[in-house]
Amino acid sequence: MHDRIFAGVNLLICVALIALSWGYQAPFAYEPVGPRAYPLLLLSLLVLGALYQMLKPAKQTESREEPPLNRQVIRKIALCIAAMVAYAALFDVLGFILSSALFAVAMAYLYDATRVQSTVGGIVIAVGLYLLFDYGLDVPLPLGMLAKLGS
Amino acid sequence: MDTIHYLGLGFGVALTPYNLITAFCGTLIGTIVGLLPGLGPVNGVALLIPIAFALGLPPETALILLAAVYLGCEYGGRISSILLNIPGEASAVMTTLDGYPLAQQGKAGIALSLSAWSSFIGGTIATIGVVLFAPLLAKWAVAFGPAEYFVLMVFAITCLAGMADNKPLKTAMAAFIGLALSCVGIDANSGVYRFTFGSLGLADGIQFIVLVLGLFSISEILVLLERTHHGHKAAKATGRMLFNFKEGAFVLATNLRSGVVGFVLGVLPGAGATLASAVAYMSEKRMASKDNQFGKGDLRGLAAPETANSGAACGSMVPMLTLGVPGSGTTAVMLGALTLYNITPGPMLFQNQPEVVWGLIASLFVANVMLLVMNVPMVRIFTRILAVPTWALVPAIAIITSIGVYAVHSTTFDLFLMIGIGVCGYILRKLDYSLSAVLLGFILGGMMEDNLRRALSLSNGELGILWGSPITVAVWALVAVMVALPILRAWRGRKPAPLAVTD
Repeated sequence: MHDRIFAGVNLLICVALIALSWGYQAPFAYEPVGPRAYPLLLLSLLVLGALYQMLKPAKQTESREEPPLNRQVIRKIALCIAAMVAYAALFDVLGFILSSALFAVAMAYLYDATRVQSTVGGIVIAVGLYLLFDYGLDVPLPLGMLAKLGS
Repeated sequence: MDTIHYLGLGFGVALTPYNLITAFCGTLIGTIVGLLPGLGPVNGVALLIPIAFALGLPPETALILLAAVYLGCEYGGRISSILLNIPGEASAVMTTLDGYPLAQQGKAGIALSLSAWSSFIGGTIATIGVVLFAPLLAKWAVAFGPAEYFVLMVFAITCLAGMADNKPLKTAMAAFIGLALSCVGIDANSGVYRFTFGSLGLADGIQFIVLVLGLFSISEILVLLERTHHGHKAAKATGRMLFNFKEGAFVLATNLRSGVVGFVLGVLPGAGATLASAVAYMSEKRMASKDNQFGKGDLRGLAAPETANSGAACGSMVPMLTLGVPGSGTTAVMLGALTLYNITPGPMLFQNQPEVVWGLIASLFVANVMLLVMNVPMVRIFTRILAVPTWALVPAIAIITSIGVYAVHSTTFDLFLMIGIGVCGYILRKLDYSLSAVLLGFILGGMMEDNLRRALSLSNGELGILWGSPITVAVWALVAVMVALPILRAWRGRKPAPLAVTD
């Protein structure tokens, strides 16, 4: 069933993209193929595959090793994704150390750490990684708000 | 004779103190990364690319680092398979079948040292194979034009799908998704923006590090979240830590056979270590005598997949170096790294930059020896690392992943893109699609389009050039075989009672 839904979504996306790529025309043609032939070819192959999957989805013969999803796990996964999105949004604004510390505390808590463990662990991880990458490995990281404090 | 001369040159490069230290660090990092649940060779190698850049490593040293990490991960992966019954990546699944039962019987030490030894044999056999066959293939591949390359890549994609044992269509779909993703961005030939939706961040296309880390790290983090929720327990590494001579001799024939199987399957584009370990395990099981213990802790069942996946890891370097067509997810990442260094892998690499190629090949030998020496006495220390709790590990992995992505362009757009790709990757994974196929498709996609368009420019739009030469015709024949294979298997599987293959 899930396979059918996925194939259907896939089909819709591909059809939309085909409509989109139909308009890709080069103002000057330097070569015979042009920019739209290759994506059109791929997308139509995907459409064919998705159609086949909708008509004849793969049989669920093998027993899955991972236990099925339940409501609690789905809630946790949604929270985890939300934490990551928030982290990405705050990365430049708050700077690496602050945003990472917040993120690490939240994630550790999500992965079954106690409050004390996650607070201490999160801060240690954030500061440690900053020192490792910025000083040790020369990868520049944004300081964000902390930069104003320093100057 | 040439080969020996070049090999000498390679060892000259690999044995400089600087490169030796790099190889040592690489194998150590690789083992630890492979051992941690949630990190496999693909993300291990991808994470190191920005670091290799930031440190200003010269190309051959960077490549040695990445290769050492790759091999190290294959070594490390078995530790979590044996002790935790959690394969770090797909190619280690077969190792759990006999490795974990051995650990439960209190033979974890023997299993760990024996599998390190098996990996060493597999790696060595395959590296010798690389030395023998890579230059031949490179010499032959010089004659390849764009049409030949295009057909070869079609072959790689069909190989990927045809060899995937039970879900050829899903794997093919995954590869097509990857191919389609490679179209995003400005079209180099005509300057048309494709699928960018007006976003500047996508104008350059999707950065492959963003795709790799999204697909593999983010989705793995989400899978780990599920696992923590359900909980798992590690077996203790107790008892005798070293296998004895009798046990070593018992599996030697298995080692030798599986090493060859691993190398051959590793060379095939798209097949890789997962298939190699499965084939080696199955054939050893079939060959064993009636009263075998396969599945309940047979040493041969442990040695076969371990030897084969190391062999395949080394073997997959062959198509990457000689043709520029990666044979596995990890070599696809290494290929991406090479292009960042402005090195185009392919037959010309052997002539123009022999120090890079042969340095890499020699360092495969060096890394294998290092890993063996490091792994046998240090197994106890490595197993301690498994005691690091998930709640400390996952935030660190997530943050390091973000740093790796951010370091490329210094924009947070890439972070959002990575999360989006990661969530899609997680869904694909839940639905049993192969993520390595998406990655391989993505890496091959750009090259495939370039070669197709170059070929058709040469022929002025005449499609006949795609099957004009004997080489292309031969490769098309192979493509036909690969397409026919799963259909044939499905047809044959229907008639007799289904064999129990999924054990």
